[in-house]
Amino acid sequence: MLELSGLSKHFGGVRAVDGVNLKVGRGDIVGLIGPNGSGKSTIVNLICGLFPPTAGNVLLAGKDITSLPTHIRVGMGIARTFQNIRLFGQLSVWQNLWVAQNSDQHRKDGSFLKRWLGAPGAARAEIDRTLEFFNLEKKRDELAANLSFGEQRRLEMARALAANPSLLLLDEPAAGMNAEEIEQLDERIRTLRKTGITILLIEHHMELVMAVTDRVAVLNFGQKIADGGPAEIQANPQVREAYLGSSNVK
Amino acid sequence: MDDHVVSVLSNIGVISFVALSAYLLLLTGEISFGQQAFFGIGAYAAAIATAMWGWPLAAGLMLGALAGASSALLVGLPTLRLHGLYFAVATLAFAEMIRILLELFHYQVAVDGELVGPNGTDGFGGIRYVFQNKIGAFEYMLLIYTLLATALAGLWLLERSRLGVAFRMIGGDETLAKTSGIAITRHRMIAAALAGALAGIGGGLYAHLTTYIEPRIFDIMLGVHALAYGLIGGLGTALGPLLGVLIDIGLLGSTRLFSGYRMIVFGGLVAVLLIFRPRGLLNEEMVHRIGSFWRRVWPTDPSQKSHGKT
Repeated sequence: MLELSGLSKHFGGVRAVDGVNLKVGRGDIVGLIGPNGSGKSTIVNLICGLFPPTAGNVLLAGKDITSLPTHIRVGMGIARTFQNIRLFGQLSVWQNLWVAQNSDQHRKDGSFLKRWLGAPGAARAEIDRTLEFFNLEKKRDELAANLSFGEQRRLEMARALAANPSLLLLDEPAAGMNAEEIEQLDERIRTLRKTGITILLIEHHMELVMAVTDRVAVLNFGQKIADGGPAEIQANPQVREAYLGSSNVK
Repeated sequence: MDDHVVSVLSNIGVISFVALSAYLLLLTGEISFGQQAFFGIGAYAAAIATAMWGWPLAAGLMLGALAGASSALLVGLPTLRLHGLYFAVATLAFAEMIRILLELFHYQVAVDGELVGPNGTDGFGGIRYVFQNKIGAFEYMLLIYTLLATALAGLWLLERSRLGVAFRMIGGDETLAKTSGIAITRHRMIAAALAGALAGIGGGLYAHLTTYIEPRIFDIMLGVHALAYGLIGGLGTALGPLLGVLIDIGLLGSTRLFSGYRMIVFGGLVAVLLIFRPRGLLNEEMVHRIGSFWRRVWPTDPSQKSHGKT
């Protein structure tokens, strides 16, 4: 589904990402972990094309997308969330999802005017389902800026899913969440897995990563130092030393 | 109606078009100091069409809109990839260039034994279509407001459309808009062309209102005012910039409340609002609140609930 080959990004002398190879199979949930500044978010930015890589390629479903602009990649099925919540605060919850919907998929639905001024039945139903899934249906007409922190976190993920992506990049979705919210996030990711979506999960919350992922890749100083099943990673002495430490593992 | 009132109202109506033009670009997050140039281009194009080529007013105004839109596209091609301050400076430079070009623009023909047409710094007089066709000042004011109402209705629809919401998304967070699948530059080009057309129509109306135009009118002060109207009145609705025009020309200008100090009061007002209410009086929050209140007083039929509306 997603393949990174020899991907590098240097900012001046800093090698934020340094020759990373990573394969994510269709329908897999792969965790990407590593200490702060190890290059995780940079990888997400490279996958969605917010800046060009210094070297290497990004392949989506076998196609080289390295030089494509962001909005084209999004049209091809990539969606993401951000580490720091990013929402269109001045738009309503409904509008946030409406425009994020991938219009190509609804192109043949309803009349032109209907599509432009609202949403045809199927698209509307899809938004309703997404809102319900994230328990936001009562907030649909509220401005995104007026939501609580937890609601904004959920809306951020809802917005990413509204595009109906085949590859979802989650950049620290559990940051700032309490135990109950993380539990709900865990359940949502498990439900999403059944839809066949591919997820790359960047997360510091180890319990969550170990619980929902099929495989975990570990970054340190921009390089991949390990890649394997959750149990294998937890037992890897190199990983423990670089990232987990020895006493912090739960 | 009092002649003075008609003239003030006509002026408010015409200037509203430039304010709306700047507002449309503000929605996409671009600050343009150059919308007066498209106003000027529209004014010259429409005036040349009616006074020199003998076109009817409607065709002249259309040409003005077209000239405004196409020149906005032309400027947009190289500048719309710029951001913030760079875009602001580029538009300012372009507008000054147009003004100076208009000062060098001589193109006159004899109409009824009299030379008519742009004559450099001496301006372009004798735009007498309205007078010749016996359209009264009041009727012309009605024409201005009919067109303004049409433009507002168009913007009202636009802001509820996918395109308009995408404009706001780009203005709100460009990176997020990109990762939501929005082609930023293409959307900005569309916004710039629409804004150019609005300014062009306004310019055409202005030329026929005053019957005389000169390059000096389309200087930077007009552009600064156009921006300030949106920032004062609010960016939550197209009525925002209109409120700004009303406050400036209607309240400060015509009542002569502060006479000589008008510009100081105006500048102070802009500064205070930018600090305490950066998105103007009618900002998105305010518009949303008015919208919710409206829905509570007159609930719409739940079977055709209009989710897209704020």
